[in-house]
Amino acid sequence: MTHSLHRRGDRESLKGDFVVLGCPATGVNKKGSAPKTREFLRICWKHGPVNLGDMKTGNTHNTTIDDILDRVTDGTIVQCTFDNREKVVSLLKELKEKKPGISVIVSGVTDIVQGIMDEADLGRIHTVEYSMGTWGKTERLPDFEVLKLTTMCGHAMIANDLVGKLVRDIKRGRRTPEEASLEIAKCCTCGNFNVTRGTQLLREMLPLYMMNRY
Amino acid sequence: MKVDENKCIGCKRCFPYCPLGRIQILHRHPTAPGRVYIEIDQDKCTDCGMCFRANVCAVDALYQPTEPWPREVRAVLSNPLIEYKGSQVPGRGTEEMKTNDVTGRFLPGEVGIGIELGRPGVATSFRDVEVVAMALTPLGYEMAEENPVTHFMSDRKTGKLREDVLDERATSAIIEGKCKLENLAEVLEAIKKAAEKVDTVFSVEIISKVPPKGEIPIIPILERLGYEYSINSKNNMGLGEPVFKFPE
Repeated sequence: MTHSLHRRGDRESLKGDFVVLGCPATGVNKKGSAPKTREFLRICWKHGPVNLGDMKTGNTHNTTIDDILDRVTDGTIVQCTFDNREKVVSLLKELKEKKPGISVIVSGVTDIVQGIMDEADLGRIHTVEYSMGTWGKTERLPDFEVLKLTTMCGHAMIANDLVGKLVRDIKRGRRTPEEASLEIAKCCTCGNFNVTRGTQLLREMLPLYMMNRY
Repeated sequence: MKVDENKCIGCKRCFPYCPLGRIQILHRHPTAPGRVYIEIDQDKCTDCGMCFRANVCAVDALYQPTEPWPREVRAVLSNPLIEYKGSQVPGRGTEEMKTNDVTGRFLPGEVGIGIELGRPGVATSFRDVEVVAMALTPLGYEMAEENPVTHFMSDRKTGKLREDVLDERATSAIIEGKCKLENLAEVLEAIKKAAEKVDTVFSVEIISKVPPKGEIPIIPILERLGYEYSINSKNNMGLGEPVFKFPE
């Protein structure tokens, strides 16, 4: 399960994009993990994520934080998305001090994440996972500008055509880029979609794309 | 995912929410003159449920029937809300490196490799999944026990999938496992060759325990062989408890 890994974009686009996951381990600390996961989520929420969710319940753009907290069970994996390095530094400092006990994972630009860990006095990354890109029939993929948005949902629930429809809606004055970004966020149940980055990417797309369908 | 032809008014609001693109067909209603309805191509649909969850159908025409085996594997791998009981993790994969700080799943000298077929937004047939899986097993690639794709294999030693799932499709299906560091170059070469044989895309991911000091062991191998890896990554913070004692 690598749903926060394969986000596409250049350094400039990804430098303010962090997904922080809390994950209990089957056979190790999963049993009785619900209170730890709730504590992890409460701490994350204090630090101002732009999105937060649990795969089975939804995210803060299609339900409430209280609903997400209420439906945490032993084994629930939760995600919090941040648009700001400083917020992640303060979050990791607090997690280091309060130690919820479940595994904590941060997806982001590798050297920026290591810098955050140094600042939070966490030492070196424990285990790293790199994306080696997309192989095979890559001619079947949409434009890179569209991929930057759709790959923010690792379960591939953001449709290429939805991006096209929303760009068209913005151009027609039916939605603002912020509203369009929130519409995309609703599709990504887990809460991995960075709505701040999404808004920025949609703004960047507007002069480049003319959408005719839908 | 199916559409009730007696409720659907053919408004097409659900179309742009389908991650697989235009897989719907418009039909004239057989008994109501002038009325059209949508039929979803059942061969292409992976039962991910996104159109239903988008909550855009004004007449509640979309519904997901309970699908029998083997079609049920589509939703298991494609709908993130469904938990595969074998992995005990919602979604289509495992905990992999996320819990390596407490499980020790990936030890020094081992490399985790995941191949996520169908992603992003193309979908995959299980025949293509089998092509990649069978390319890896002769090279000492050990399939992850808890992974759903591993459970759909009739022979885990060869990577052969069960005959009855081969005609099924998924939005994405992940082959997860690990190999020894010394086999990494061969395994990557096999994946590269398999990429030429499949009719889909796949994302490749690579996992390594980071040593307390010095270079991450996979980096010089990737650089020597000319493989690119992304500037962004997924990073375990080592905050889980109880801490797994890794050998030096």
